[in-house]
Amino acid sequence: MTITLTINGTRRSLTCEPFDSLRTVLRRAGLHSVRFGSETGETGAAAVLLDGRLISADVMLAAQADGHDVETIEGLSVPGRLHPIQQAFIETGAIQSGYSTPAMILSAKALIDRNPNPSEDDVRDALSGILDRETGYLRPVHAVLRAAAVMRGDEPDSIDIAYLDPLVDNGGAPSDRDGLSEIAPRVVPGSDVPETRIVGKPVAKVDAIKLAKGNPAFTDDVDLTGTLIAKVLYSPHAHARIVSIDDSKARALPGVRAVLHHGNVPRVRYASGGQSYPNPLPYDQVSFDDKVRFVGDRVAAVAADTEEIALAAIDLIDVTYEVLPAVFDENEAILDGAPVIHDEPDMEGAVDASHNLVHHLKADTGNVEDGFAVADRVFEQTLRVHQVHATPIETHVAISAWDSDERLVITSSTQVPFHVRRMIAPLLDLPVKRIRIIKPRIGGGFGVKQEMLVEDIVAHLTIATGRPVRLELTREEEFMSSRTRHPQTVTFKTGVDADGKLTAQEMRIVANTGPYGTHGLTVQMVTGLRGLSSYNCPVKKFDCKVAYTNIPVPGAYRGYGAPQALYALEAHMEDIAFALDMDPIEFRRLNWTDVGDPLDIAQQLGEGDQDASVMPLVTSSGLEEAVLQGQRAVDWDRRDDPAWKQPADRPSIRRGLGFAMAMHGTAIPGLDMGGASLKINDDGSFNLLVGATDLGTGSDTVLAQIAAEVVGVATDDIIVYASDTDMTPFDTGAYASSTTYISGMAAKRAAEQVREQIIERAAEMLEADAASIDLYEGQAWTPDGRSVSLETIALSTLHQAGQHQIMATASYVSPESPPPYAAQFAEVEVDVETGQVTVNQLVMAVDCGVPINPVTASGQVEGGMVQALGYGHCEEMVYDEDGRMLNPQFGPYKIYRADEMPRLEAILVQTMEASGPFGAKAIAEIPKDGVAPAIRNAIADATGVRIANIPFTPERVWNALQQA
Amino acid sequence: MITQYHRPLTLDEAIALTARPDAVIIAGGTSVNADPGRTPITAVDLQALDLAGIDTDGESIRIGATTRLQDLVDSTLVPATLRDLARREAPNTIRNAATIGGAIGIVDPESELLAGLLAFEATVTLARAGSTTEHAVDEILDDPALLNGAIMTSVSIPSNGVAAADRTGRTPMDRPIVMAVAHRDHDGTVRMAMTGVSTRPVIVERDQIATLDPPSDFRGSSGYRKSLALVLANRVLATVTGGEPT
Ligand SMILES: Cc1cc2nc3c(=O)[nH]c(=O)nc-3n(C[C@H](O)[C@H](O)[C@H](O)COP(=O)(O)OP(=O)(O)OC[C@H]3O[C@@H](n4cnc5c(N)ncnc54)[C@H](O)[C@@H]3O)c2cc1C
Ligand code: FES
Repeated sequence: MTITLTINGTRRSLTCEPFDSLRTVLRRAGLHSVRFGSETGETGAAAVLLDGRLISADVMLAAQADGHDVETIEGLSVPGRLHPIQQAFIETGAIQSGYSTPAMILSAKALIDRNPNPSEDDVRDALSGILDRETGYLRPVHAVLRAAAVMRGDEPDSIDIAYLDPLVDNGGAPSDRDGLSEIAPRVVPGSDVPETRIVGKPVAKVDAIKLAKGNPAFTDDVDLTGTLIAKVLYSPHAHARIVSIDDSKARALPGVRAVLHHGNVPRVRYASGGQSYPNPLPYDQVSFDDKVRFVGDRVAAVAADTEEIALAAIDLIDVTYEVLPAVFDENEAILDGAPVIHDEPDMEGAVDASHNLVHHLKADTGNVEDGFAVADRVFEQTLRVHQVHATPIETHVAISAWDSDERLVITSSTQVPFHVRRMIAPLLDLPVKRIRIIKPRIGGGFGVKQEMLVEDIVAHLTIATGRPVRLELTREEEFMSSRTRHPQTVTFKTGVDADGKLTAQEMRIVANTGPYGTHGLTVQMVTGLRGLSSYNCPVKKFDCKVAYTNIPVPGAYRGYGAPQALYALEAHMEDIAFALDMDPIEFRRLNWTDVGDPLDIAQQLGEGDQDASVMPLVTSSGLEEAVLQGQRAVDWDRRDDPAWKQPADRPSIRRGLGFAMAMHGTAIPGLDMGGASLKINDDGSFNLLVGATDLGTGSDTVLAQIAAEVVGVATDDIIVYASDTDMTPFDTGAYASSTTYISGMAAKRAAEQVREQIIERAAEMLEADAASIDLYEGQAWTPDGRSVSLETIALSTLHQAGQHQIMATASYVSPESPPPYAAQFAEVEVDVETGQVTVNQLVMAVDCGVPINPVTASGQVEGGMVQALGYGHCEEMVYDEDGRMLNPQFGPYKIYRADEMPRLEAILVQTMEASGPFGAKAIAEIPKDGVAPAIRNAIADATGVRIANIPFTPERVWNALQQA
Repeated sequence: MITQYHRPLTLDEAIALTARPDAVIIAGGTSVNADPGRTPITAVDLQALDLAGIDTDGESIRIGATTRLQDLVDSTLVPATLRDLARREAPNTIRNAATIGGAIGIVDPESELLAGLLAFEATVTLARAGSTTEHAVDEILDDPALLNGAIMTSVSIPSNGVAAADRTGRTPMDRPIVMAVAHRDHDGTVRMAMTGVSTRPVIVERDQIATLDPPSDFRGSSGYRKSLALVLANRVLATVTGGEPT
């Protein structure tokens, strides 16, 4: 049929099918800002304005829009100019990955057009249909309020950094917190932090403009002529043998170009986790197997001319299964007689596959029994942490094609392009040199894209058909077939002496790695490392069994084993303090690690190549300051106010405050490697090429700031390109909280070499001593105030004399992993008649060393806390008895939306970490660690009920209250 | 799968199209398009029929069937409790397309708005070839087949009385595990409706709660839902009868 739409003011006639959604038709018409988040409309990534109203183009037919006005962000985006709303989104730091930013900006426009003076509640309601997994909504909400104020001509809230006086050793009055704007980044300055010009400043993100304008920037925006659409047939059974596959009907369907399955794809063993060479064992996967091990496992893949044909072909594949008994619980899976999940002879690297035991990890720093023997009291506690999904709003998507050199080019939303290139080569029987992986902007990753998940499918299909092939997972497929957080049963046993000091601590775990061991070793190593590093203790012991089961596959998810560890540890420590009748913070303070304390268990639970004779030590810690700042921000004294805890006018409500400390790592020492290369252009600007993969976190910006600081230019004179295995230096990728610290150091080193080369020429041109020259504001300066611009230097070196390209490449691996520390606070209300928990406030004060960019760092904390809130409060993957996920859809799988958020506050406590670039440590993952235990401890403060398992859904809390 | 699309210009034309066995009415389309199924269907889009709008004669409020949920939220004629239930029905992006007729048509087992319409004793007008009939919302929920071959044209609710709603969910805007809404009309008659205690929103009397047998799911077992029902019923009844909240 033909429809007529007025799109951004222009009447257009478009042909479409009656079933085409408005999203499909708008994207086909070149409006790439209308993005896919789900077919059923919940994510709002495809929201557009229809006659001025914000609607989800996922669940509107193009035919319904016939005759109407459609507005997309492209209509606001004039080259070289920004709309005030776009400007406000950039200035407030509201853009992370930017995948849903166009939808949010349109929502703001519709709201402000109707109501120039909206309240915060109005804004939150306007954003209620656009799910955001990254920002915690704080900055987007304030961006809209700011834009409205600017458009009215009013003074908007301040976005300048608010410097807070330190509270440790501060006899005087602390700085006033009244009147602090909610989005002013809070920084507590460190005493020994050197002055910088670009680093430490709230510079706008280098990719913000293109994201605010909705320019094509993501994998799905790549349009190659003749692209086939891939669809995958997933297993309906949790455990089954494929007796036969008949693909003849599917192949006979016109428009079907290839059907692949175990019968026609070579069997090559691999591990799908995107990790350094050699990938950790086990190698228990193949592209297509003759056995399926979870509901959602791959059976076959189809490439066809259209999505409809591909789906029809999937339906035509006849598979006969021999259904096998399945096991889902990690403790049952390792018992004698449990169904054996990997019985194939060619699987490599499980400790005891016949008992579903993948790994058995052990570490200790002595004999814990000796420590328990001298303890005054010994406490033991078992807790269970459940399975959740990272749910980036952009699902997994990849496109592969042959280029003119007959090299395979795969564009993919991946965190690990270099690992994918190396890992995929043997599967395709192609040498690495014939493969190129390009990572465009990513619409959120959070670890779930630290995996070779869909790339081999499109690559096999391109090889089979010779055509470009695209595969984009649906939301349901993303839930069921991608990767999740490992569930664990965790037992802590702790000895405490009469003064409250730990004498021994033992952590026993049975972890559930699902049917494949991807990340199964290293996630659990991090659990042990984080669980047994936060507190000083003379002897520690770790024992962890990692079990195969038939649940959808756990893998990497932001936090990587630490949220599990810290939940259990901080619940356990809280309960010990309670049993000892000690203040919960005092008890932790007696035991927590501080500067100079050993990280002894790290020597045995490290993944990288470390010098065993050197004991890693804590080199910087701002934990004490963080605790004091957080206590002040959350008004901790309310814990002692009965009138606050039990409000007289709401008899069923009890209020409470909870605390958890968190300590994380910064990169994998001796293993994570980052590379950067920097070269000057004619006008004194620079290209910075990095292999690092910015997931929306702002790491490209941070790397640009680091380079800009060193060569003395503004950040927008650094053009960042990342990442492309043909163009950029190697980088392990975005994981393990490593980009700022590792890739940042690589960028700093490359910039330092470039700086030397610039100064050398400047010294000649200025006839000055090189050692006396400084670079800033785009000029090389002598002490007596003479200068030459970098443009002049560039022109001189490129065109005029002694011609050469000023450029350098550097890389970095760190011998250490300095821990960031955080103090997490939560305020809750519990309805004791219903069990409903409402989280009113989350405050996290974090020592991340020197924050290179306080706005992006604050955004990491705010958004991270909200993901962690979901972990502790409402998110869970739920299955029927056959292992089929019951809630593979947003809504039933509940993530927070803009109009139901607790108040959020991030406080950045500076310390100077000597090993990091300009003093930086990591920040991206630590916000995931403390929220669940802080909520749990707040529930205990409110009601006296101490709950073992997350999440704190109403019935679980109600049951606990009934038993109390 | 939608294989044909029609946008009738008159009610009669729409009614005629609706008689086709493969016809599916589309109002906002947010529910039909989210899950159109795999069998071929003909969409009959009501947008050109001019059925939207809210008006009152002082005694009752008439809401056109294709009135968008957002227009209910924004209307000063509609009682505050119902406006809030309409807001809770779906996020902004959906409310700007979804209609009250659609909300009734899908008979969502957990719809707070439907529970509200039950408590308010809303009636629905159905148009068929040559006839118009009035039905209580309860009747339609009991027998959704009443909608076959018919087009809902409007929904009426009384404009007076007091109402209150309360709920328990995982988060403040989550679909409730159980919710209760009560309405007391001008002569003191109180009606209460609930979600989460049956396979659809239902009218519940305070004394019936002990005999309920709610369906279980992962968010709430049957027994838990029953105890929630009692707590929430006591709260909303206390509010509408002016007694002390419990
Ligand atoms: C992302 C999302 C979130 C949602 N969240 C919630 C939620 O939290 N709680 C909740 O209860 N619901 C929720 N919904 C459901 C939403 O409320 C419904 O989709 C909406 O009310 C349906 O309205 P519509 O006009 O779009 O219906 P349509 O999809 O157009 O129609 C729905 C049904 O009603 C029939 N119909 C519609 N109008 C008429 C008429 N005038 N006469 C006869 N039959 C008619 C149609 O034939 C169809 O069977 C959500 C939906 C989405 C997409
Ligand atoms: S922009 Fe919000 S989820 Fe990515």
